[in-house]
Amino acid sequence: MTNSIHEIADARVLFVIGSNTMEQHPMIGMQMRDAVDRGVTLIVADPRRTQIADFAHIHLRHRSGTDVALLMSIMNVIINEGLVDVDFVRRRTENFDSFEEKLRRYPPQLVEEITGVKAGDIRRVARIYAMEKRSMIYYAMGITQHVTGVDNVRACANLVMLTGHIGLPMSGINPLRGQNNVQGACDMGALPNVYSGYQTVTNPRARRKFQRVWGKRLPQRAGLTVMDMMDRAYEGKLKAMYVMGENPLLSDPDLEHVKEAAGRLDFLVVQDIFQNETTAYADVVLPAAAFAEKDGTYTNTERRVQLIRKAVEPQGEARADWEIICDLSTRMGYEMSYRGTYEIMEEIALLTPSYGGTLHYRLEEGFGLQWPCTSREHPGTPYLHRRAFAKGLGTFITIEYLPPDEPPDEEYPFLLTTGRLYFLYHTGTMCRRTVVLNREEPECFVEINPEDAESLSIRNKSLVEISSRRGSVKVRTLITRRTPKGTIFIPFHFREVAVNLLTNPAVDPVAKIPEYKVCAVRIKPLTRQKTRKRKAPKVDLEDLRIT
Amino acid sequence: MKNSWILDKNHLSYWLRQLRKDRELIGPLRRYNHDIVFRTVEEIHEIALDCPASLPSPKEFLFPQYERMLRAGDLSSGRRVQDLRTERPRVIFGVRACDVSAVMLLDRFFLDNSKDPYYDSRRRNTLFVSVVCNNPDPTCFCAGLQTGPYLERGFDIQLTDLGDRYFVQADSREGIRTISATGFLFNRPKKSDYDDQYEVFLSAKAHFQKIISLDGPRQAILLGRVHDEFWQGVTDRCFECGGCVYECPLCTCFTVTDRSYEDGTERIRLWDTCLFKGFTRMAGGVLPNENRILRTKRWYYHKLIHYPDLLGSFGCVGCGRCTITCPGKIDMATIATKIKGLSLNGDLG
Repeated sequence: MTNSIHEIADARVLFVIGSNTMEQHPMIGMQMRDAVDRGVTLIVADPRRTQIADFAHIHLRHRSGTDVALLMSIMNVIINEGLVDVDFVRRRTENFDSFEEKLRRYPPQLVEEITGVKAGDIRRVARIYAMEKRSMIYYAMGITQHVTGVDNVRACANLVMLTGHIGLPMSGINPLRGQNNVQGACDMGALPNVYSGYQTVTNPRARRKFQRVWGKRLPQRAGLTVMDMMDRAYEGKLKAMYVMGENPLLSDPDLEHVKEAAGRLDFLVVQDIFQNETTAYADVVLPAAAFAEKDGTYTNTERRVQLIRKAVEPQGEARADWEIICDLSTRMGYEMSYRGTYEIMEEIALLTPSYGGTLHYRLEEGFGLQWPCTSREHPGTPYLHRRAFAKGLGTFITIEYLPPDEPPDEEYPFLLTTGRLYFLYHTGTMCRRTVVLNREEPECFVEINPEDAESLSIRNKSLVEISSRRGSVKVRTLITRRTPKGTIFIPFHFREVAVNLLTNPAVDPVAKIPEYKVCAVRIKPLTRQKTRKRKAPKVDLEDLRIT
Repeated sequence: MKNSWILDKNHLSYWLRQLRKDRELIGPLRRYNHDIVFRTVEEIHEIALDCPASLPSPKEFLFPQYERMLRAGDLSSGRRVQDLRTERPRVIFGVRACDVSAVMLLDRFFLDNSKDPYYDSRRRNTLFVSVVCNNPDPTCFCAGLQTGPYLERGFDIQLTDLGDRYFVQADSREGIRTISATGFLFNRPKKSDYDDQYEVFLSAKAHFQKIISLDGPRQAILLGRVHDEFWQGVTDRCFECGGCVYECPLCTCFTVTDRSYEDGTERIRLWDTCLFKGFTRMAGGVLPNENRILRTKRWYYHKLIHYPDLLGSFGCVGCGRCTITCPGKIDMATIATKIKGLSLNGDLG
C-alpha cells in the first residue's frame, strides 16, 4: 500500500476493485464501513456481489477479466472531460502522449459491450474518482490473478498518475496483501529476481554489495518462478525442490500437471507445520514452528514491520524456519549462525536501504515502523512517493485490453472464478484442523446464478459435475444472485473439491501469476430431476446463502 | 460488620506467599505492549494491581478455552477411560469485582440444575481474592449494573485499598477460613477504617466515565420498539469473529469434540460462539437461524432478555471487554446506548 490503513477514515472516495474486502481483509473492510457511515463515497468493481458491494454507493459488475478495458474507459472519460491533473502529469510523469493515443480506443459506449458495465456508470465513476482530491484505490487478487495481471496493475497506476492521486495522504494506490507477512516475504527477496528491498539480481552493483557481505559469488541471472519451476520439473529439467509453508499440490492451477511434476522430482523437501497434500510427495518433511512458537517480525499490508514474540515452546521436533535454514546451510558448507532473530534483522538493515532502521529494539514499543525507514532515527513513512517516484518520473506504460486466456465458448459455456471464504484460509492446512472453523464451512459449494440454475434445471444443494479442459470435480450447488449470470464461483480451500484441477495454468507473461479468476467450464447435473407436471410455485431464490 | 480485617500493605506479599504454599497463585501480570493477562505468579512483585482489564477474563480458569475432559484407549494406565478433571487448588488474586459477579452468575449456569462436573471441580478448588476498583477503565460500566466496582456479598475475599493498608472482607466460608489460617497478619478495623472504606467506595463510583443501565434497552426490546432494521445495521457491522463471546466473562457457549492421537483419543471441550452459523446447524445442514440478523440478535437477547428471565440479573457485568475487543463497534455498551437513544428520540427504527 502506498498509504496507511488509518487514512481510510479521512478519505473522500474509496475505489475498491477486485477485492472481497469485508471477508478477506475484515479489519480494513470495517474501516471502509466506518468511512461510508461518515459520508465517504464507496465504489466497488467486482463481478460478484460481495459483502462490501452490498453497502457500496456504486457497484460495477464488469465481466471477469475485463478490468483493463474498464479502467482504460474510466481514464478515457477523465481525459475527455478535462479532469486530468495536468500539473502532476507534467511535473512527475512521462510518456503521457503515446498513452493518450491508446486511451482513445476505449470510449464508454464501446467498453460497455466488453465489460457489461453501463457507459453512464463508467462516466459517473470517472467523475467521482477524479474530481475528489482524497481518492484512494484498493485492489487485491481480483486484479492480479489474470493473464493480464500486470496490465491490470499498470492500469490502476496510470489512473492514479492521471488524476494526481498519489504521493499525498489519503490518496494513493493500495494493493491489499493477503497474508500477515506476504509483504515481508516479498520485501526480503523471496522472489526469483530480487534481493531484499527489491534490489534486482541482474544489477551488478546490488550483486557486488551482497557478495561482499556474504562472501560468496552470487548468480547473475534471475531464478525461476513457481509456475516455471513446476514446468521444468515436469520436463525433468528441475531435479529437487524445497517447499516452505506452501501447499502447491492444492493451490497451484491445473493440479494434474502439478502432481505429475512433483512425482518426477528426484528430491522434494517440505517444511511445514502440518501434513498436507504436498508432504505426501516429499522425501523429507521438516517440521516447522508455528507463528506463536517463534520470534521475528511480520510486515503487514501497510508496510508496517511488527515484532512477534514466542508465546509457547515449539512442539516435538519442530524448529523455527530460520533455525532450520541456518542449520541446513551450515551443513552444506556455508556457515550461518545467528544468536537470534535480532541479529538477522541487523543484517537485513545493513543490506536493505528501506529496512535500514527497523531494528528490533526500535520495534519493542508501539506498533512497529513503516518502511522506508532508512536510519535508526527515521520515524517511518506513512505514505509513499511524496516528492518523486522511486524511479524518478512515473511512466505511463501503454497497455491494451486483452481478453482472458480461456473465455467461455460453446463447449464450455460458463466462466469459473475462484476465491476464498471468510472462515477458511488458503488450502486449509491449519484452519481445517480447527474444529470450529471447519464446522463453519464443512462442505464445498459452487455458487450459481438462479437464471443459470433454472436453464440447467438444477436445484439448490444438488450435486453437479463441473468440468474444464483439464479435469472435473463434483460439488453441491448454492443458488445465489451474488454471482452474475454466466459465471460460477468455487472456493479453493477444499481438498475434496480441488477446484484447481479445473483452473487454467496460463500465466501473465511478466509476473507469471496464473489466471485463477477466469477459466471456461461446463456444468452437468448429477442428480436426476423429477419432472413435475404442475408448475412449481415461484420461489424467490434471492441470496439463499446469507453470510 | 463482622468478617472485616485490616491488612498492612507491607504484609501483602508475605500473605500471598503463605497463600501460595498450598495453592497455585494466579494474578494479573503485564506483558508486552501493555497486555494484561492472568497467569501463574512467579515473582510476587510482578503482580499489576493498577492495571486495565485483563484480556481474556479470568473465566478461563473455571471454564478454559481448551479443556481435556477424558481420555480413552490408553491401556497403559490400566483404565480404558480416564477422567481428566483437575483438582488443583488455586487462588486467583487481584480480580475485579465485575469478574467475581460474573463468576457468581456462571455458578448458577453451570451448577444450579445439572452440575457440570468439570466446572464444579475447578470451582471448588478456586479461591477469588478481588480488589475494589479505584480507577476504572474508560470502557467500564459496572457501576450502573451493581456488579462493581465493589461487592456487597458473594465474594470470597475482597480487598479495599486504603492507602497504606487494605480493608479485607471475607464472605464465603472458604474465604474466612483462609484469612483465619494466617490470622496473625490481620487486625480488627477501627471506626476510622470503616469511614475510609466508605470514602473509597464512594470515590470509586465517582470515577466512572459512563453509567449505562440495561433496563431501558431491555424494556425497549420487550415492548417491541427495536425493529429488525436496527438489528440489520448491527449485523452489517458484525464480523462473526466471536471476540465478544471469548472475552465475555459470562458467555458459556462451548463445543465438544474428540481428538485422536497415536495412543488414544481425547474428548475436549472448546469455547464456541453462538454467532457462528455452525453452532446451531442440524444434521442434514439445516440452519434454524440462517438469517444472520437472528444470530446477532440472539447474543443481545440472551444477555438482555433471557438472562434476567432465568436468573434474575443481566447477562452482562459491565466489564467493557467487548468494547475493547469488537472491531465493528457493536459492543454491549454501544448498542445499549444506541437503543436508549432510539427510544428516547421516538425514532424506533
